[in-house]
Amino acid sequence: MSKKTISLQQSHGVDRRRVLQGSAALTAAGWMGGLASGFLLSPKWAHADGPIKMGIATDITGPIAPGGNANWQVAQYAVEQINAGGGILGRPIELYLEDTASDPKIAVGNVRKLIQERKVDVVLGGITSAMRQAIKDPIVNRGRTLYIYPQLYEGQECTKYLFCTGPTPAQQCDELIPRLIKTLGKKRFAMPSANYVWPQLLNKYARKVIEANGGEVVFEEYYPLDQVEYSATVGKIRDGKIDCVFNTVIPPGLQPFCKQLYESGFQKNGGILSCVYFDENLLNYVPAQEMEGLYTCLDYFQALDDPFDKELQAGYAKKFPNTTFPFTAGSAATGMYRGVKFYEAAVKATGGKLAREEVAAAMDTGKLENGPGGPAEMVPGKMHCKMNMYVAVCRVEGAKTKYEVISKAPMVDPKEC
Amino acid sequence: MSAQQSVADESSAKRSGLRRPLRMLPLIELAVLCVIVAAPFALNGRPDLITLFTNIIILSLLAISFDLCWGFSGILSFGQALFFGVPGYVIALVGRDLGISQIWLTIPLAMLTGLLLAFVVALFLLVGRRPTPIFVALGTLTGSYAAERLVSGWQYVGAGNGLSAVKLLQMGSYEFVEGIEFYSLACVILLAVYLGARALVRSQFGLVLAGIRQNEERLAFLGYRVQIFKMLVFSLAGMISGVAGALYSYHQGFIGPGNMGPGLSTQAVIYCLLGGPGTLIGPVIGTAVIELLTYVLADIESIRQFWPVFLGFVLLGIILFQPNGIVGVAVSIRERIGSYGLRRKGAGRQG
Amino acid sequence: MEADIKLAFDILAFISVMVLIVLGLGVIASMMGIFNFAHGEFVLLGAYTLYLFQARALPLWLGIVTAPLVLALVGWVLERAVIRRFYANPIMAMLGTFAIGLIIREIIRGLLGGHYKAIPEPVSGVLSVAGLDFSVWRTVIICTTIVVMLASWMFLARTSTGLRIRGALENPMLARACGISTARLYALTFAFGSALAGLAGALIVPLYGLSADIGIRFLVQAFLSVMLGGVGTFEGPVLGASIVGGMAAGLPWVVSPVLADPLVFIIALAIVKLWPQGLIAKGSI
Repeated sequence: MSKKTISLQQSHGVDRRRVLQGSAALTAAGWMGGLASGFLLSPKWAHADGPIKMGIATDITGPIAPGGNANWQVAQYAVEQINAGGGILGRPIELYLEDTASDPKIAVGNVRKLIQERKVDVVLGGITSAMRQAIKDPIVNRGRTLYIYPQLYEGQECTKYLFCTGPTPAQQCDELIPRLIKTLGKKRFAMPSANYVWPQLLNKYARKVIEANGGEVVFEEYYPLDQVEYSATVGKIRDGKIDCVFNTVIPPGLQPFCKQLYESGFQKNGGILSCVYFDENLLNYVPAQEMEGLYTCLDYFQALDDPFDKELQAGYAKKFPNTTFPFTAGSAATGMYRGVKFYEAAVKATGGKLAREEVAAAMDTGKLENGPGGPAEMVPGKMHCKMNMYVAVCRVEGAKTKYEVISKAPMVDPKEC
Repeated sequence: MSAQQSVADESSAKRSGLRRPLRMLPLIELAVLCVIVAAPFALNGRPDLITLFTNIIILSLLAISFDLCWGFSGILSFGQALFFGVPGYVIALVGRDLGISQIWLTIPLAMLTGLLLAFVVALFLLVGRRPTPIFVALGTLTGSYAAERLVSGWQYVGAGNGLSAVKLLQMGSYEFVEGIEFYSLACVILLAVYLGARALVRSQFGLVLAGIRQNEERLAFLGYRVQIFKMLVFSLAGMISGVAGALYSYHQGFIGPGNMGPGLSTQAVIYCLLGGPGTLIGPVIGTAVIELLTYVLADIESIRQFWPVFLGFVLLGIILFQPNGIVGVAVSIRERIGSYGLRRKGAGRQG
Repeated sequence: MEADIKLAFDILAFISVMVLIVLGLGVIASMMGIFNFAHGEFVLLGAYTLYLFQARALPLWLGIVTAPLVLALVGWVLERAVIRRFYANPIMAMLGTFAIGLIIREIIRGLLGGHYKAIPEPVSGVLSVAGLDFSVWRTVIICTTIVVMLASWMFLARTSTGLRIRGALENPMLARACGISTARLYALTFAFGSALAGLAGALIVPLYGLSADIGIRFLVQAFLSVMLGGVGTFEGPVLGASIVGGMAAGLPWVVSPVLADPLVFIIALAIVKLWPQGLIAKGSI
């Protein structure tokens, strides 16, 4: 089987997308089983012990494609930086990609390829919780490989050898919801949700915080992921005099829902839309005017005035000029960066040993001095990390969205496991 | 006088079998058997290929079940994956909630689930005022689609996430992981199912099925209880699908709503059509060809983009010009029971 | 009262979408006795045409008018080349059109790169009538559906070609004996059905977004509508679409949306089982 090798210098996001869209098209079709879009990025030099193999399993096609592509680009960028600095203890990192195509059924087969054929030392990826649930077994149990999950999610993932580098409900809701209720005065909440595990558990946590702060959840509803008709939901929002919609509908249902909500005049009449995964990348999903006035709470925003962040963005923009996939927090890109850096730090701490037991033990006490949004610190024994959390509101300027950061909470505890 | 004699000579020569045609089907079956048995030895050291071959074996079971319905009996079941996915879920649930994954219990359980479910669906779709083929096709498609939507919303079975971390298949205290052992198990099961189905279709029962496929009304007039036969074959096909679903669940370690929906159902149709319906070995070959090509072409970018389109054209070509599929190229009409595909003569609707 | 009006409007809007999609399918099924499995993909093609117009910054209104024309052409060509071989065998027709649909869908998926695209409505915003807000675009869809239905009905009932079509529907052999070219009528009908699908696609894509899978989304519902309403008449599929569309839009108000989804299919299938020829049964499949 031929392997395509591209040197890191020549990689451009757009080329890669075109190259991958074919097979991933099949996988997104959902009716061709077992098709993979294996892709390899080889470093420029070799080491006696061989390269460190890192596998990325993310959604290059399908509804979650904008997030997946951002993840892949950030992974390449982070690895390139590390390799440019001499790799990890002199060993370069070799990067492999498999497209999970936003379909857990296909992802399982493709991830197995990473483990069995490429024999990677660590896998980073998965965006939706459905995807994580599907691929964690082939990676962690059957594959006996380390797995780092970079996206914000619903918590309660305490599997050994599975580290989470994205925000948890505690980190997101504890800041955002009191602000919505106390500062903005919104008391009547609606929870339109996609029907899978992340919204269900997140809503449970959010409900607790809402009620503890004096708010009221008027209705909580779940829809199939590809639902396109939301007239009943929008009707209930109107009739129930909802003033804050805590949205957990994800693509592909997200676009029709936002449009139908916007057209019903919800925001015009003072309602607030709040969604904890909305970031600057959402322009790839939803037109700007539907996001105006939206509230979110994430670990990083591009508007942050921090020299490390600015340098990070500049480097990313240099590597991927004019890319449509920005480096943002809601699409797991920040978690991916953190994940790669945590892995680097852990391998350095073990002195170059790659066995997952040792790396995991080292990662357990991992600390990052610098990262997007600020430093990050693994909580020992808890598989999750502390990070800065920011509440922001979305403003529209021209056709672009700009997030105005309203508050910052430093090194918030994930409160998991 | 001499002309008549020469004609008589000729016909007697024919009757004595001087031009006996070669029976291709058993040869093809033997060839496939050899490939299946030899594969693990050739592939030692490539675990990913063993996994691929195991998947092929499992999916060809599904294709065979479709062939029994369509290729032999003329029941176009566009929802065969329903009887694949539901038993797969049952297996995963039994493993998760009851902790049982012993092969002696779970495989028969899957067979029973497939059988019963197919029986219920057959009661609804095949029985009663004679249902048109369109109704059967659409009904099965709808059933498969509705089941997928229902399961996508049901929290207990994992909703859209599906069920992952399925408990490994056990025989006593031995656990089947992906690899040569699972491959061997799948092969044994395929062999058993194949021989059983083969015996079935070459029996009197099979002849009745062929008659139903050709002209249902005629057979009904001849006194056969057509509906009972159709229900029987449909239920048996469901049973075979059930085994396939259980094996898939154990092998992948994952089962999701997509495994019972129209996507997989139509995949089974394509496998069977490409390979050659009505031959039992055709679906196996069709599955192998499609899955192997897909895997191999995954790494060749220029072809990869066009592969599904190409496959669609191949499928269209098969339907238009070679309804007997790949196997039909080698196997003559005489070896198959009854004819198949588009009727060449007569155009336009019966007015 | 207000809530009821809005509810009625929402249900009517979704029914219009369903009727637009189903009309083409029903016409083809009534006329030629085949179920066009590629119908969803014709809708997709119509949506994709509009997307092309948007991508090249051409006026969207033009795109909406062009989409049915493009589809009429595609339908005509397909009918001449492929579909006519299937008239004798409806089962092979299903499989053949399924293959065609597959080809179209995968080509578009390749062109889209597996991504989902948003297309703005040509006329967006809300219409305020008597203090109630109605989406402008949905109103446009409802009006277009009514116009299309009236125009089709007038065409069938009042023109000579319409008369010929009705004749060929009732008794093809006799129609041929009278000198009516059924082959040409079939081609015309298929082109017309495809054009309707293209129009439906162009109209609904601003609402639901474009991806390679939007065709399949409506396919099963469309088939059920046709079977429910009955083949052989103009009103049958429309009635079927209204029932299925009404259920799909209305049930989520009564039961949880997750349950409503499969419930629509089960109810529709049960009704078809009870009335195998459909509610308005004149032709037969």
